Order: sequence, then structure tokens, then C-alpha cells
Amino acid sequence: MILPLIKGLALTLKRFLNPSTCATVQYPEVRPKLASRFRGLPELQIGKDGREKCVACGLCAKACPSGCIYVEGAEDETHRRYPKTYELDAFRCIFCGFCEEACPVRAIILRDTFELSTYKNNQVFDKEKLLGLTRKRDLLKR
Amino acid sequence: MKTVHLVIDDKSIAVPEGTNIFQAAIDNNIYIPGLCYQPKLPQFGGCRLCMVEVTERRTGHRFACAHPVSEGMIVKVNTPKITRYRKSVMEYLLAHHPLDCPTCDKSGECGLQNISYDLNLAPGRFKTTRMNVPVIRDNPLLELNRNRCVLCGRCVSTCKEIEGLGAIDFQNRGIKTVIGTAFDKPLDCSFCGGCVAVCPTGAWQDRTLGFGGRSWEFMKTPTICPYCSVGCTIVLNTKASPPRRDGGVDTVKRVTSDDYTGINEGNLCVKGRFGYEFIHSSERINTPLLRRDNELIPVSWDEAIACISENFKKIIAEHGGASIGGIGSEKSTNEENYLFQKFCRTVLKTNNIDNLSNIKSPFLNGLIYKSVIHGFASASLKDIETATTLFFFGADITEAHPVIGNMARKAIRLKGANLVIANARNVQFQSQARSDVRLRYALGSQVALVNAIMKAIIDGNLVDLKKVEASTNNFPALRGQLNNFDPQLTGISAETIKQAATLLTNNGNSYLVCGKDVEEDPQGKDIIEALLNLCALINAGYNADTNSARISIFFSRSHNNSQGVNDVGVVPGYLPGYADIENASSRETVENVWGVKLPDDMCKKDNQDVFDLALQDKLKALYIMGENPMVNHPDGKKVHDALQKVGFIVVQDTFLTETARKANVVLPSATFAEKEGTFTNMGMLVQRLNKAIPPVGNARPDWQIISDIAKKMGHAFAYASPKDVMVELERVSPAYSGIIYDRLKRKEFHWTSFLLTKNKPLKYTFGVIEPGVLNISVSKDFPFILLTGANLNHQGTFSRHTKALMSVAPECLVEVSRNDARAMGVNNGDVVIIESARNKIKLKAKVSGKVSEGMVFISEDYERQPVNLLRDGAYTPVRIHKEIG
Ligand code: SF4
Ligand code: SF4
Ligand code: SF4
Ligand code: SF4
Ligand code: SF4
Ligand code: FES
Repeated sequence: MILPLIKGLALTLKRFLNPSTCATVQYPEVRPKLASRFRGLPELQIGKDGREKCVACGLCAKACPSGCIYVEGAEDETHRRYPKTYELDAFRCIFCGFCEEACPVRAIILRDTFELSTYKNNQVFDKEKLLGLTRKRDLLKR
Repeated sequence: MKTVHLVIDDKSIAVPEGTNIFQAAIDNNIYIPGLCYQPKLPQFGGCRLCMVEVTERRTGHRFACAHPVSEGMIVKVNTPKITRYRKSVMEYLLAHHPLDCPTCDKSGECGLQNISYDLNLAPGRFKTTRMNVPVIRDNPLLELNRNRCVLCGRCVSTCKEIEGLGAIDFQNRGIKTVIGTAFDKPLDCSFCGGCVAVCPTGAWQDRTLGFGGRSWEFMKTPTICPYCSVGCTIVLNTKASPPRRDGGVDTVKRVTSDDYTGINEGNLCVKGRFGYEFIHSSERINTPLLRRDNELIPVSWDEAIACISENFKKIIAEHGGASIGGIGSEKSTNEENYLFQKFCRTVLKTNNIDNLSNIKSPFLNGLIYKSVIHGFASASLKDIETATTLFFFGADITEAHPVIGNMARKAIRLKGANLVIANARNVQFQSQARSDVRLRYALGSQVALVNAIMKAIIDGNLVDLKKVEASTNNFPALRGQLNNFDPQLTGISAETIKQAATLLTNNGNSYLVCGKDVEEDPQGKDIIEALLNLCALINAGYNADTNSARISIFFSRSHNNSQGVNDVGVVPGYLPGYADIENASSRETVENVWGVKLPDDMCKKDNQDVFDLALQDKLKALYIMGENPMVNHPDGKKVHDALQKVGFIVVQDTFLTETARKANVVLPSATFAEKEGTFTNMGMLVQRLNKAIPPVGNARPDWQIISDIAKKMGHAFAYASPKDVMVELERVSPAYSGIIYDRLKRKEFHWTSFLLTKNKPLKYTFGVIEPGVLNISVSKDFPFILLTGANLNHQGTFSRHTKALMSVAPECLVEVSRNDARAMGVNNGDVVIIESARNKIKLKAKVSGKVSEGMVFISEDYERQPVNLLRDGAYTPVRIHKEIG
């Protein structure tokens, strides 16, 4: 009976003492390494023309199980369909990724933004904010 | 009609003979895929999707929309073979299709999309290029993206058969076929939007939506159109924003139609389909306004109502209730107008109330009621679809009541109906009628024309005269008098008149629409009485066995509830339901329900209207609900002067109209989309409004405002909803008795036919009419006669606050005949000055074949153009000249 216990503890200890398998990360000094399919905050993508890729089809809003997305389309001077309003209530988002899956143009993708705590009592991200995340990322890349 | 029994997909059904399989399936809730068949349109057979397996004597494959049912037929909608076939048809249809569903507003309600989904289509086998013809956006309302078109032909057929225009058609041939206008000219049509409604794909788009929402986001509320008196059912599509945005705002995003609700079969005119933007106009009044130091200042509701109540109380104490006048609204609901007159009569104790339609033609109510009790006005507008002959007298159907035109065209297409159009102008009515008789009478000869028709009927023995003699009174006197008229006066040949007489006495039901031109004519009363004589003459000879001629009359009303406002008694002469106010016994029912005694000295019909009284300094206060008499009263100057003299004016309206600007207190009222209630159309059909959105801003529905004022003044107006009002109205009004508010949601209430099921039509007494001479004093100084009338694109205050309608018809034009225009050197679009003895206005000219020489026509429906300032009667002499410089 005691043997299996020792066996198990040995494994625990081995992992605990080995620096490569130790789970503790010195966050925030050290950034955690996220899985490539990690689902953080949905972010609006930017197309080649520098504008939002989103065509305001409303499918993400429809697919969203927590109903946190609100899209209102409009027509611009070139008759292109674009989201005049795009809002995502980050408090309500459950990071399910359904919006990403629904989007026909891959305009919304859940990336690695997970630091969402705030002192404010609402956290509704508008279009500019959601695009801003992608802009920042593009800048970092350069 | 014979019934045929058949089985579709194991379901036994029975349908009338001659139905096609597709229709039989629709009627029995069986789904057959198909893109081109549309019940209200002629069958086309272009999409080839509706293939079904049919077993009659043999088993074979048929197109459901093209094959009539037969006894014992067995139909299978889905067999493996058919599915395979359908898939390949779809593959062809989609071969060039852009498949841009994400940006296509049809997505979610698209026939093509639905069928693709049902058939579980995978990407096609063909390698094709997507079609790429330019999208047509040359007009502000409609967009045609021909890349998405499947050439089903529905739009072409709607435009031609229903709207009578044929503005669009198939262009080119073979693979290059597209839908377009002739020679690719910009679309210039009536913008009924019928093409958008029937298109099974996203090829036709309503541009007013402007990508503002998706089909699945909309909440659809059927309600009644707020413009003309046809009373079409429109479906308001509202989109809600989440509660986090100002608590969740509901916005009307577009109007669609429903083929199966209401009387209009999904047909609408431009106002009904595109005229909704005023609901969310930024020009709406948001809070009550109170005049202080000659300026209207926003105040709270409590403050405004307290001020009104105080002033009314003071005026009643000092000058008596009769010194307050009230104007009811042709656009508010029956319930609101009922409360309005009850408020005026019981709280303010005044009978000086009226509405604009009654001011324009004070005799009309009496005559309409007369036609009702004699059984001439017992048809519903929808019956027009079954007409044998349609007689439009002084009515410009295409401009004033477009959807009646749609119904008429249906009768013409399916029943081979004939058309008789009598008008002083050459009004347009496009149709395929076999006999289309035009009686273009000279002004002032209308009575002579009606009498000439009657004489032709009698002389030609077209009705059973013995029967007429037996079943009516005074026929010999009428007969003798008919000879006193000279048909030559009318300027119409005896031959044509005879032709009209024959058509009107053809077997079957005929319908007469008496237009605004007649009702507002100085001789209107005589003309209508003559028309009633004509109806009586035709109907008295009616024989049910031979289905001989019978005629029903409709009276044009201008606004959505011009009929209702009179029905519920916002007139000096009648209590609700046309109970004579001077008759103490007919007052009794009303007094009992209201629990007040109406004093005798109050219950008088004054033959002066409210504005006359004001001019004579008899009014100290005026309460105007939802009306803009400054522009809509035929005599603009009178209203202008009258309002100057009244010390305290309360106006309840949605916008700051010309009248509201003169007010001491302005109360913001809710529009039709924001309230419940009922409207009564010109066919006496009471239809229910449904509330689509909560009141915008601080607005309140009129009924609530009236109750609030009444309560403040110490009266118990304890109504929680329009339903409570209707329940009371039902008890008060003989006309509306039998109405059940909750049932209205499912079925509209037709009060005239309900009245006639309880009371037999009365025996008719022919009136002998001696019309006065119509004095139109054209002189050398003022050589033209000014005619006014309806306009398709505009009506009332709402249309001018609607961007879509302003963009298709931005300006009021003056129509001048070709010859006059040539003589004056006026071309289309030139600015001309129209001057009457009173005033002058500047308008752009339109050279038109509609008016005769010596006449000019200006529509009175452009509220921005105060045409009424020119007028001093129905036919005002004017002069026009080109603007110099
Ligand atoms: S699904 Fe994609 S394209 Fe459609 S609204 Fe959402 S983000 Fe925009
Ligand atoms: S017409 Fe229908 S199938 Fe074609 S893009 Fe629009 S929604 Fe999609
Ligand atoms: S809007 Fe009406 S009139 Fe114009 S093209 Fe379409 S169907 Fe024809
Ligand atoms: S535009 Fe629409 S209604 Fe007209 S033919 Fe094409 S698919 Fe049919
Ligand atoms: S015909 Fe009259 S009721 Fe019908 S949609 Fe047009 S304006 Fe509205
Ligand atoms: S519905 Fe029958 S062919 Fe189109």
C-alpha cells in the first residue's frame, strides 16, 4: 500500500524540482507561454487596405451564445458594407470562439489578450478599441 | 366552383378546380421549392425548380406551378430522382452567382439561399467566372445588383401587372440576359418597391435600409400605413440595440409587406414602403414646449399640462366653454379622436370642434351616411378586385390611392374588368383594360354628366325600369328632370356617354370611387347626390338570380383616418356614430355612458367652422391635435388670421409645424409606430395598429395626453389603454357596435356591412337636383384656373420629414399644359411665378399632358409649399409668368 504512495510522490517531486516542468511562472515579470490555440479576447482584424476586414454581416453577433456582440452595418461612399458600430462586452464574453468560427471573412480572431481585469464597472469595447489591439500587434511586429 | 381532391406527399387535400399544384401546396402548407412562382403574379415557369412527380393516368414529372390539379392526382414533391434534378438546376443557377451572402441584405430570407441549404448543396462541378455586371444605383431608393438575379421574372411581372408600369424588363438574350430599364436609362418609376418585395434573391434591395440590419435581427410588427386612406398593412422591421446602449433602443429599420395580411396583398406605394424615416427624424419635438417671452421653451410634462389645465379652466370660467375650439386629427386613431371630442364636449363644454376633412366638405358625412343606410356603400375596398366595371369619378387613383389602382389592375387582369374614368384632367391610369372609357368633362358640368349617364341608362333600357319604379320613391320626377340637362355642356360625345352607361350596367358588381376633386368642388354636394341617384338607379334593378348590375360607391378620403375622425364624432353636427347632436333622444345613449347631460344650448351645429368663429373673436382658446391647418386648410389666409386672434393655442404634434410654431403650448405626440389603436379606411374598414416601438424621446400618444389633461382638470378619464376607449366607443356608437378590440388583431371590422346585417337598407328616394351655376371668374388678369390635388410621393407632415420621399420628390411642381407652356415660352424645370389675387409663389414648371389649356395644377400635398395661401375657393383664378432674371 505504501509503495504506490511513494511512487506517486516521487513523480510529484520530480516534476516539482525540475525547472522545465515547474508550473509556477513569475507572472507578471515573466509572460506565460500560451498554447497556439489559446482563446483570449476577440480582436477585429485589419485588411490590406488598412481598414477593418469586417463586413458587418452580423453572423458573429448571431452566433455569440452570451449575446455580447452588437454590430450595426452601414454603407460607405464606395458602397462597401462596413460596421458603423461594433461592440463587444468583454465582461460577458465567454471566450468560446464561436464568433471566430462564424465569421466568413476571418475578421474576428481570439488572440492572446487575457489581461482584462479593470476597476471600471463596464468593459464594452468599441470598434476602435478592438481594432487597436491588432494595430498595436502590427506595430510590434515591425 | 368544383372541388378537386388530390394527394400531395401523402396528405389528402381538396382545392378548387383550375388551381395549379404549386398553389394547392401553398394553400395546404406543403413546401415545394420554387423561385419564380408567386401567387399574386401570372405563372412564368422560369426557374424549373418546382418539378414534382405526378401520377394521373400515368406517372411523370411536371412543373408544379404550370400544371393544374386533377381529381385523384397523386403528387410526390421529393423523390431521389427529383432531388438530383433539383440539385443540378441549382448548380446552374449558382454557377455565376456571386455568393456574397455576408454582404447581401437578403441573406436569411433568400429563396436561393434557403433552397441551397435545404438541398445541402456542395460546391458545384463547373468552373465558372462570377458574373460581373454593374450594380444599378441611379436612384435613391432601389438598388439592382443583377449579378444576384436568377431571372425569375417576378419583378418584371409585378411592375407590369400590378403597378401597370413596365419600367423594367428583360434585356438582351441568352447568357447575356439581364433585368434592366429600356436603353439603360435611370429608373424612373413610381417607386412602389414591389420589385423588392417579390424578388426571391438579393438582386433588388431597399436602399433606405443601408445595411442597417440583418433579416434575422428584425422584429416584424404588422401595422397600418400612416399616409392615405386605403389602409394598407405595412410591416415595420425594428432592430433592438442591447440594453447597455441607452437602455436598449428600438429602431424602425425598414418596411416590408405581407401578402397575406390586410387588404393590400403585399402591394404598397412609395409612401407606405419608404416613408417611415420620420419616426426617427431628428426634427421631432422631444419635450413639451411652453411659450415664454415669445419663445417656445422646453418644459416638463407636468408643467405643460398644469399650464393647459389652468388656462382652460380660467377661460371656461370667464368666457364659457363655447369660447374654446377644437380641431381633431385625420391622422390620429379612432380612440384618440373619440377621446378628443369627449374631452371637448364634457370637460371643456364646447361643441366648436371639427376636423379638416369636414371643414373642406361639410356635406360629405351626411351623404356618406345616406349611401351607407341605403346599402350603396357596403363594400370593402378589397372587393374592387372582383369588379366588372370600375368607375373613377374625379379621382386621381394613381396619385391619391395607388394601391386601389393595384386592386383595380387585378380585377382587369383576372376578371376582364372595364374601366370608366371621369375627370377634368387627363389623369394617368395604366392598365390593360379591354374597355377604357375616359370622360373628360368640363369643369362645372359634372352633374350634367352624371345625369346624362342616367338618361342613357334609362333611354337604353339598360336596367329593369319597372323594378326601379317599384322599389324607389320619386323616380318619375327624376326622369322628367333629366331632360333639363344639356349633355353638350360636358364636352363629351353622346356615344362615349352611352358606352359608359353600358359598361356600368354590365352584369356583375361595379365599383364607383368618388374622388377628392368632386368632394371639394363647390358643387360637390350636388354631384354626389347625382351619383347616389345613379347608384340607386342601377341597384334598384338588381336581380340576384341573373347577377345583374350592381354598383357600390366609395368616397375618397385623404388621410389614413379621415373616415374615422368623422365616424367618432369630431364634427359639430354628430356625436360618435353619426348620432344627430341636435336630437335630444339620440343624445341619450351617449349621455348615459358618459354620465353627463349635454346642455341643449351647447348641442348646436354651427354652420360656421372653428376658424370663422375665431375670426369673429368668439374663440379665446384653440386645441389642435395632430393637424397643421396653416398649410392644410384650403384657405391659408383665414387660418393665419384666425390663429392671430386666439389668445391661447395648444398644439399636439410630432413635429414643430407651422401651426405648432404659433402655439402657446406644444405637446410632443407619438407616431403610429409607437402606439396602439385603430384606423378606419375609406372603405369603412376598422383596422388595428400594433405598437412596434416605445414612444421616441419624451413623446406620449395622443390618447394619453388627452386623459392627462382631463385628469388634471378634475375629470375621471380612467383609460389604461386604447382598448378601454374602444370598449366605451363600442357602447356609444351605433356604427361601431359589434366591434371587439381583441378580435381586430386577427380580423378587421367592416362597420358598414355589420350595420347592414342588423338593419335592412332603406328604400331610396331620388332627389331632384338643381345645381347652381359654377362661377369660375377667370379674367384677363388671371387667365388660368388653379387646380389642386393629391401627389403620390407626399402627404401631410410626415412625408416631408422622410429623407427617402424628399429625395424622390424634392420639389413641388406646377403642371402647365403643353400649349400654354409653348405660348409662354416655359420649358420643363423653368421657374415660374404663380400669382392669384391674394398671394404669389414661385415653383418649377412641369409641362404635362394631364392638364387642359387654361388650367394649372399644383399638388397640395407638399406641406412646405403653402399653396393654400393662393386659394380662396376650390377653383382660384391665377396668372403665371416666367421668372425674369
Ligand atoms: S462575423 Fe465577421 S464579418 Fe460578420 S460581423 Fe462578425 S466580425 Fe464582421
Ligand atoms: S441573393 Fe441570396 S444567395 Fe445570393 S448572395 Fe444574396 S443571400 Fe446569398
Ligand atoms: S418600384 Fe415598382 S414601379 Fe418601380 S420598377 Fe419596381 S415594381 Fe416597377
Ligand atoms: S431581379 Fe429578382 S425578381 Fe427580378 S428576375 Fe431577377 S431574381 Fe427575379
Ligand atoms: S396606398 Fe395609401 S395606405 Fe397604401 S401604402 Fe400607399 S399611402 Fe399607404
Ligand atoms: S416555380 Fe415553377 S418553374 Fe419556377
